[in-house]
Amino acid sequence: MGSVHDPVGEPTFEPMIQIDMEIKTFVSAWKHCDYVSTYIARMISQNRSDSVRHSNLFSSAFNELLEVAFRTRHADGELACRVSRYGATDRIELTFPCMPEERQFYEEAVLQVVGFEAKERYLNSVSGDLAPSREVVLLELAVDYNAALRVEEADGDAITLVVDLPLEGLQH
Amino acid sequence: MSPYNLHARFKAQYDANNQEFSISGVVRPQAIDELGPSLALLRDAIGRVRGVLYVNVRRLAQMNNAAFYAFSRIIIDACRARPDLKFVVITSSVVGWTSRKFGRLSGIEPNITVEEYDSEFYPGQGFLEEGGFVPILRTQTKMTWRHERAILPRHGMRPGIVMADICCGIGDFAVLVQKEFQPSRIVALDHSISSLDYARRVMREFDIRGIEYTYGDASEMLLDEEQFDLVTCRHSLQIFNRPELILKELYRICKPGGRVYITNEKNSHCLGEPRAESIRWTYNEVAKLFAHFEMDVELGPKSRRYLIEAGFDDIRVETFTVTNLDGDVQDFADVIVAWADVYAGEMATKRGDGAEFVARFRQGFQDHIFAALHPKGYAGWPIWVASGRRPQ
Repeated sequence: MGSVHDPVGEPTFEPMIQIDMEIKTFVSAWKHCDYVSTYIARMISQNRSDSVRHSNLFSSAFNELLEVAFRTRHADGELACRVSRYGATDRIELTFPCMPEERQFYEEAVLQVVGFEAKERYLNSVSGDLAPSREVVLLELAVDYNAALRVEEADGDAITLVVDLPLEGLQH
Repeated sequence: MSPYNLHARFKAQYDANNQEFSISGVVRPQAIDELGPSLALLRDAIGRVRGVLYVNVRRLAQMNNAAFYAFSRIIIDACRARPDLKFVVITSSVVGWTSRKFGRLSGIEPNITVEEYDSEFYPGQGFLEEGGFVPILRTQTKMTWRHERAILPRHGMRPGIVMADICCGIGDFAVLVQKEFQPSRIVALDHSISSLDYARRVMREFDIRGIEYTYGDASEMLLDEEQFDLVTCRHSLQIFNRPELILKELYRICKPGGRVYITNEKNSHCLGEPRAESIRWTYNEVAKLFAHFEMDVELGPKSRRYLIEAGFDDIRVETFTVTNLDGDVQDFADVIVAWADVYAGEMATKRGDGAEFVARFRQGFQDHIFAALHPKGYAGWPIWVASGRRPQ
């Protein structure tokens, strides 16, 4: 696994762990979201100031992203979960198959999670009658976990969701 | 149970007496149908209560958004349909996301309030946990360690094990164990943030590795079951009002075949010569004082019963007495001074003790110090050590 390259001006995140799976295998069982989020959370939290709390928080956030990828229901392609770290921030890079129209959806959704309206938008979604959407999942990561999100293009019909989680700062 | 066992990973209950709906465990359904019985239980609970419904999520380790929306929807709808009804959601500061996530609900419906269950855990312990007591805790551990380092191997301590130190306080015991026995991993848990801050600072300054300090409630831990070869819990069952709840958790996280090691006191057996009578009177009063605050500092000899009732076998019990003849006699005296300050100070005041009682109470501590420092004196502080094996 190589080092993580960031746009100019960003710090270099050090790679910690990566799991690759055939998307077909991943979507064959819902419990894979729980397995992967729990396993990775434990592995990367060992040297955090409070490993148990960090692992719980990380798993909670990461599981939501995996559930988003799961619900894309693509039959072909790869799922790649990579976690890297810079100081108090853990970065999740989740690459999964995605059609062009879906990519546009994610790009728009990520734009919605920034700004002070994000919290209001999130509250409206919780109080509304509609079932939770993928957009709301991303909103919640920004509102409740102070996550920064962006979308990156990946090879083929795939995208990468990049989510920076400053969970050390959320302790207590 | 394996951490990945998906059967019965969560439990929903309704307690009619307390008007409390509680949900615990890991709730990550793919489809809302999987929550059908639990959602029906919540709806049913709402239909039965008047005034307030408590929604207890203190032991909710994980809940995905699909489940959160399903439960929230019912609560929000109930707020709108029944403005007379209030909801109090009880979260835990131990589970980091719950207060943030459920806290949003109060911004949607004013009839929903969210309370974080935290410092009210065990009200009496505040006396013993604040920063001023740290030096004395260190001295106490230094005094007991002289004995425990020889005792621990008889109770399952050996190099390479995975161990947990529950109610680790300032973490000094974990550090001593790490240096002496080199377990492969120590998870040290406490619910005092100031104590954990201290422990982490020591770990950083002395470049200690292999100890993970974690914030948590000993009676409801986030730790997975069956993962530790040895679980230690020292001087702590005696200051919980319901020690059996802690033991249940210690049992849960201990591997089958592993051991749980506890130490406790019987304060009325503290002794000294000369001035034995005064000392005996005071320590009998110490036991009564703690009992007033629902703490049992006479628990030591009851350890065997507690361990048996918690389901352990191969129970081993022994005692040792820290005395003025061990190590530095001034350490012993310093500990008694600290006890006197807290017990005859803040605690006696809070109980409402009169000046005459407090004066006699203090005298016993002074006499204990006198006995410790007397060239021909003897002063002792007895400790009960007990451990039990979790059956295979």
